[in-house]
Order: sequence, then structure tokens, then C-alpha cells
Amino acid sequence: MTPLDKNEALDRHALVMACWLAAALPAAILFQYGFGQGGTPYLLAAFAAILAGFVAHVIVNVVYGTGFSPRELGLGLVIYGLALVLFVVLSLVSAPFAAHNFLPLSIGFIAMGAVVVFYLITRFGARQAFEAFDVIRDFRSDDRDSKRSPGDHT
Amino acid sequence: MTPLLVSVLGIVSVLGLYLATISGRHTQQPGDFVDAGLALPPWVIIFAGAGITLASLSLPNHLLLLATFGLQYNQIAGGLICVALCAAVTQKRVWLAARLTSLRTLGDLLGDYFGSTTLRIYMLLVLFLFSIPFAAMCLSQAGALVSAATANDVPAGLAIWSIAFVLFLCSVIGGWRGIAYLVAAQSLLVLALMIFFGAFTGFTLDKLAFAANGIGTASGVLPDRIPGVIQFGAGIGKELPAGGLWTTFAGLTFALSLGGIAISPGFSFLGVTSAPRRGFAFGQVWMIAGLAAGALILIGPVLAAEIAASGSLTAFTIRLAALDPMVAVGFTVLLVASGQIAVAFFAGSGASVCTIELTSRYIIPGMDQRSTRFAARVTLALVYGAVAAVASYAPLSATIFSSLTLSLSMQLLPAVLGLCWVRWISRSGVLAGLIVGSLCVVFTESFGLVLFERLFVDLPWGRWPLSVHSAGWGLATNFTACLLVSLFTRSDAERGRRDCLHDAFEESTPARKGSQAATTAKWSLTLLWAFFALGPGAILGNTFFSEPIFAGTVVAPGMPSLLIWQVMFWFVGVLIVWWLAYQGRLSVIDERPRHKIVLVPDVNPLFEPVTTPWIARFLDRVTGR
Repeated sequence: MTPLDKNEALDRHALVMACWLAAALPAAILFQYGFGQGGTPYLLAAFAAILAGFVAHVIVNVVYGTGFSPRELGLGLVIYGLALVLFVVLSLVSAPFAAHNFLPLSIGFIAMGAVVVFYLITRFGARQAFEAFDVIRDFRSDDRDSKRSPGDHT
Repeated sequence: MTPLLVSVLGIVSVLGLYLATISGRHTQQPGDFVDAGLALPPWVIIFAGAGITLASLSLPNHLLLLATFGLQYNQIAGGLICVALCAAVTQKRVWLAARLTSLRTLGDLLGDYFGSTTLRIYMLLVLFLFSIPFAAMCLSQAGALVSAATANDVPAGLAIWSIAFVLFLCSVIGGWRGIAYLVAAQSLLVLALMIFFGAFTGFTLDKLAFAANGIGTASGVLPDRIPGVIQFGAGIGKELPAGGLWTTFAGLTFALSLGGIAISPGFSFLGVTSAPRRGFAFGQVWMIAGLAAGALILIGPVLAAEIAASGSLTAFTIRLAALDPMVAVGFTVLLVASGQIAVAFFAGSGASVCTIELTSRYIIPGMDQRSTRFAARVTLALVYGAVAAVASYAPLSATIFSSLTLSLSMQLLPAVLGLCWVRWISRSGVLAGLIVGSLCVVFTESFGLVLFERLFVDLPWGRWPLSVHSAGWGLATNFTACLLVSLFTRSDAERGRRDCLHDAFEESTPARKGSQAATTAKWSLTLLWAFFALGPGAILGNTFFSEPIFAGTVVAPGMPSLLIWQVMFWFVGVLIVWWLAYQGRLSVIDERPRHKIVLVPDVNPLFEPVTTPWIARFLDRVTGR
């Protein structure tokens, strides 16, 4: 994987923004309509639109030979986390909201998580994907283990 | 709905400003402001090409005309394949010529290749028609759409100036690269929303008007048939066309005028400033011919039927707002974004080309990079000011002038074909063709008719006589004059310069792999396709699937026979463009040109005036005695 030059990095970033713009507006319309008259099918379609944006982002990464940047990862995790917290809180405080939307939103969030895990496994392999989230190992006092890079078998 | 619409448009604007800011920050040389360092990425060409094509067709107008004339007007969507074909024939060669000669605009290329200042002036005229009246018409429509969607909470004037100001800011900060990013991002948004609304209306509305009753046109207009091959009437304004205006000749000649998009100064500049390998072919085949034409052919009638059933575009938006305000906002954003693409692209490219061709060539020659950037910014301010002023105060004039734009642009086809392929097309031929063709265009369009009839007497014909579009009249006479004159002047004094470029083309392009028979087959198939898809053969589509000739009975295919015909020929059209662009190597750049050529020494006629030959001969005759 060769690092991108300034112009290529800019091109990639602009393309990523364009992809997310094209996915976000239909997703917003579907969520809004899904929470109103539309119901479950439209909420699931909204998650499908977001997944389409994610797939487009992965395709951009493949075209430019890059991965997700730390900022993109951070932003993605923050948005996903906030949306999840909002969903849980709303489900707890509003019975009608939970009654109407709990199932499709749960399916949507789980599907998104599953797609990300699937991507990680196919991109990095099961072991490396797991090690990326292996918090316990980070707390080990063993100096040798903490210095070992992912995928290093020696 | 007003706060929601303003918020969504605001978010899109902020994204545009963000893209402009980061591209402005990353600009390495001040001179890159004008031409993006000739290194726009392929994805910009791929997405922007499709978006610009849709925007040039004017999406709101297209839907309204489809609602007025039914499927006979849907032929025009198939005309987008003509844009792809025209781009496939010219775009790669123009790019190669630009790289070989280090020239950056089509006007400079044609001017130097044919050695003609008249051609440069003509190109600038076409450029201004695209940059100001055409962009003003699109901006005016966008303002009207916002005003109608917000029930005049945001007046049209305010919307026009706000949109123009935001787009100006994006352009003036990001330069050509920023404009290209913005246009490409909005194009992707428009394509996504087109497909989205096709599916959404299909799933959400209780009973689709198109499936139930077809497109409800006014009485006297055939909603699902082409009204004939040609109508021997005097044209719009003189005679009412029976069954509708869109005969096969009207469709074919309008589709030809759409080719003017591909050879417009702005579109050519977008191609020249790119650094593609396979971007051209992908954009032409899959995005313009495939996605853009397909979306219009398949989704256009569904949306148009709903608009016709609702009564107007505004009524349809209100109907969507009854489902959910966000749905109506999304539909309005789709239409406004297509207008914004046209405004940003034509104003931005117009300012860049004007800076290169006019300001730094004639007005202030020898400007350094910083001064060039400043000049481009001043030009941008002037262009946007003019566009917003015309859109606000003279929208009718903008519409009348912009009706000339595509047809006049298409009159450059012989010149561009000469530059790209046909070395024996001479300067005299091109100029004779341009004069005759442009006169025919002007006198078969509203502008010329109004002007002539106000000043002199009534003409016996109206707009588009014999239901042939002005581009058709212009091209027929243009090609005739060009070929006749070129026949006698093909070996003129400039032949050496023309040969020099064509020899360089042949050196830069590997030897052809296919046989002569394959080449003949490709072009024969293309002409056959044009005959059956858009030309007189399209009349067969009226009944081909509902009343098959050999079955001798009437069948109900479930949708109008004409729509099946259009979809079938859309598939075939994409296949043909793919064959030409990829297999015929028309749009695949195999290797970059190895050496540079100089067409003419860099002479500035304002400071080093060159006497026109006939004046020189006259002076010589007078002073020699």
C-alpha cells in the first residue's frame, strides 16, 4: 500500500464526502418517513442506504488502495455510538416509540455491526480483526506481549 | 417545510464550501486555480459528466414537458446516448490535442489548428451563451422551485441571490478543482435521488398514475405514441401540431442538439483538465448512456405521470409533503441541485476559459500566476453577478437566449471533427458552414424570429418549421456548406499545420487492432441504431409490441409499446457506446503523448497585428501602382 500524495489524498477525501452525501439524504428521508407513516420497511431501507454508503466508502478505499483513516473510524464510531445510545434512551422513556420501532432499529443496528465485522474479517482476517479490539491484552504487564505487533507469530 | 428545506440546502452548501476550502488550501501553484493543474481525478469526470448532461437538459423542464407531451417526449431521454456518442468521438482526441500542443481550451485548439480568429470569437460567443443566459435560466428555475416549495416564505429573488452567492463563494475559494468537486458531488446526489424517487413513488403512492392511466396529457396530444415522422407545418407559433410536436424528426434533431453539450467549451475544458486513464470511457458508457439516460427513460415517465395527475410540479410537491415534509424537501433538493450543477459548472468553466482565452491572451498578456488567479476571481464575480441579475430581472430573455445555446454549440461539430479526425476539413469550409448553420439556427428559433419580425416583416415560418429542431436545420446546412467548400480548399496553405497534428495523433495512438470490416460494422450499427431509436424508424415503436405485424392480433404487453421500444433501444445504445468507447478504443487513452508540437507561433494579434490576406492584396494592388 503506497501512501497517497497530497492531491490523491484530497481526491479520495472529496470522493468519500460525495458518496456519503448521496447516501445520507435518501437515508434521512427514509428514517423520517419510517418513523412516521412508513414503518418498518422504510426504517430497514434507511439502514440499507447507510450500508450502501459504507460499501461505497470501502470501494473508494479499494480504488485508492487505502483503508479507513483514524478520523473516519473515530467519526463513524462516535455517530454509531450516539445513535445507539439515543435509540436505547428513547426506547426506555417512550413506550410508543419502543412499540413501533424497537424491532426494525435493533435489526438495523445489528446488521450494521455485522457488516462492519464481516468487512474486518474479510479485510484483515479473523485473528487480526479480533486483536484490534483485544482490550485485555493491552492491560497485560508482560512487556513482550504489549510490544508484539498484530499478526506477529514469533 | 421552509426551515427543513433551508436546513438541507444549507447542509449541501456547507459541504460545497468545505470541499472548496480544502481544495483551495491544497492548491500547489496559484495558476492551478484556473485549470486544477490539469489533474482532475477520473471520478470527477465520471460523475460530473452525467450530472452536467442531466442539468443541461434541465430536469424540471424535462419532467414538465414529459407531463405535457407524454412518451413522445421520452424520446429525448434516449438522446442522451447521442451526448455519450459525441463525447466518445471527440473527448479523447481533444484531450490528446491539448496535451500535444500544451493548449488548455477548445477555443485555443480550434483557433490555432484552423488559424482562425473568427473561430475563437465564435467559441467565446458560445461560451457566454452557456455561462450567462443558460446558467441564468437554470438559476431562475431553481429560485422559482424554492419559492414555490416554501409557499413564498423564501421569495424567488432571495433564493436566486443566495444560491448564486454560495456557489460564487465555493468557486472563488476552491477554483476550478473546487468547482469540479462540487459539481461531481452534486451529480452523484442527483443520480442517487433520481433512482430513490423512482423507487419511493413506486412503493409509497397508493396507485401509480402511470400504471393506472398513463401520462394524462391535454386533449389533442397523443400520450403514448409518436405523432408522425414529420409534420409539414410552418412551426410553433404559426400552426398547432396535430397529436403533439414530438415527431421522430423533432426527437432526432433535438437529440442532435444535445450533442452540443459534449462539444461545449465548458465540457471540453472539463475533459482537457482531467488526468484520466479509463475515466472517459466509464463516464460516457456507464454514467451518461447507462445511468443518466436509463434513469430518465424509466423513472421520468413515472414522475411525469404523477405531475400530470397532480396538475403541476408544485402540486406534486405539496402531495409529497402530505406524506412527509422531508420527502417533499428531498424532491425539491433533487431539482434545485440539478440547477445548481448547471450554474456552478457553466459559470465556473466560463470564468476559467474566459481568463485563459480572453484575459490572459488579449487583454493582459503575460500575466504571472498570481495575477491570473486574481483575474479568474474577478471574472467569476462578474459572471455570477450577471447570471444572478439576469435570473432575477430578465428570466424570459434568459430563456429566449438559452434556446440558442445547444444548437449553436452543435454547429461547432464540423470544426471539432476536423480537429479530431478529418484532416481535409479546411478553415474556409468550417467558417462557411458556421455562418450558414448559425443563421439557420437563429432564424428557426424564437430569438431570430422575434428580432426579425419586430424590425422587418413577418416570416412565413415559426419556430422549428416542419417539426425539425433548429439544430437539425443548422447542422444540415452547415455540413453541406462545410463539405462543399472543403472539397475545393482541402489542400490550402494551412494543410501542413493540420497534417502535423493528425500525424502526431497517429504516433500517439497504437495501430488499430480491429479490421476495416469491424470498423464499418460499428459505424453502420450506430447509424442503424440512430435510425430506429431516434430517427424515422422510431415510429414503428408506436405499435410494434401491442399490435405485432406477424401475429395479426392485438396484445396487451402491460405497458405502452413505445416505452418498451425506448427501453430496448436504450440497452442497444449502451452496447454501441460501449463497443465504440472500449472496443473501438475511442475513449481509452493507452499512453500519453511523447512529444510536443507547436501549431502556430504565439502571436498576439492586438499587439502584433497581422493583415488579413485580402486586405494585404488590395493594399498591395493600390500602393503598387
